[in-house]
Amino acid sequence: MSSATWRNVFTYNKYTQIAARALRQSLNESERVQAEKRGLTILRYQNWENGVGGPQTHLVPPVEKEIKQGVV
Amino acid sequence: MSVGSCDRLTLELIAADGLQVAMSALRLVSSAARRAPRSFATGRRGYAEAADKIKLSLVLPHQAIFTSTEVVQVNLPAATGDMGILANHVPTIEPLRAGVVEVLEPGNAAKKWFVSGGFATVHPNNMLTINAVEAAPLEDFSAEAVRANLQEAQRVAGGNGSEEDKMEARVEADVYEAIQHALSAR
Repeated sequence: MSSATWRNVFTYNKYTQIAARALRQSLNESERVQAEKRGLTILRYQNWENGVGGPQTHLVPPVEKEIKQGVV
Repeated sequence: MSVGSCDRLTLELIAADGLQVAMSALRLVSSAARRAPRSFATGRRGYAEAADKIKLSLVLPHQAIFTSTEVVQVNLPAATGDMGILANHVPTIEPLRAGVVEVLEPGNAAKKWFVSGGFATVHPNNMLTINAVEAAPLEDFSAEAVRANLQEAQRVAGGNGSEEDKMEARVEADVYEAIQHALSAR
């Protein structure tokens, strides 16, 4: 397999998540809607040092959704 | 009659004593052999009968498909090749590639799930645990979506993005190809 060298690029966790995401995107419409929710990761983390918290950063940057204006 | 052990015993007796003792020993050994069981007592490993079952736990983070359910055989897409697990399999840990896990329950027809990857562990007490992140029965897949996704992934993999993006696309393309293969072989 040409992707046997993924270990040079990312961790096993990332590899498993990529494969799981690929599977979720291949499901039928109704199952896919349910499955997409499982792929959602909303995690923010913050480093603390000397009692002071650093900036809170998202693990996965949130995608900005465009709000569609309805036709008036 | 187990001829091998008979011969050795009789040879020793003929060397030590006369023919008379050897004859009686032969009769003794042959009658003992008739009483003893024909097959080997321990370590026999033939094909598992349908009565021998293995306890399967097929679990995803969000759902437990099987929880210590007795099944006859499980076919796994291990990274080193396809394998079938029967009862009393030797303990092993196998990473799985994206592929079809087939479960043969006693009496029922075989059920298949496409698994994105994970690990299969056979424990020493005749239990098999399959941990996967995502799995779905083959009916839940849409061939059209797979084809479109595969084209997109191949486009990115052959393009000129970063090494990480291309590797990501290649991993995805492998999964899509595996789904296509599973759907066509259904």
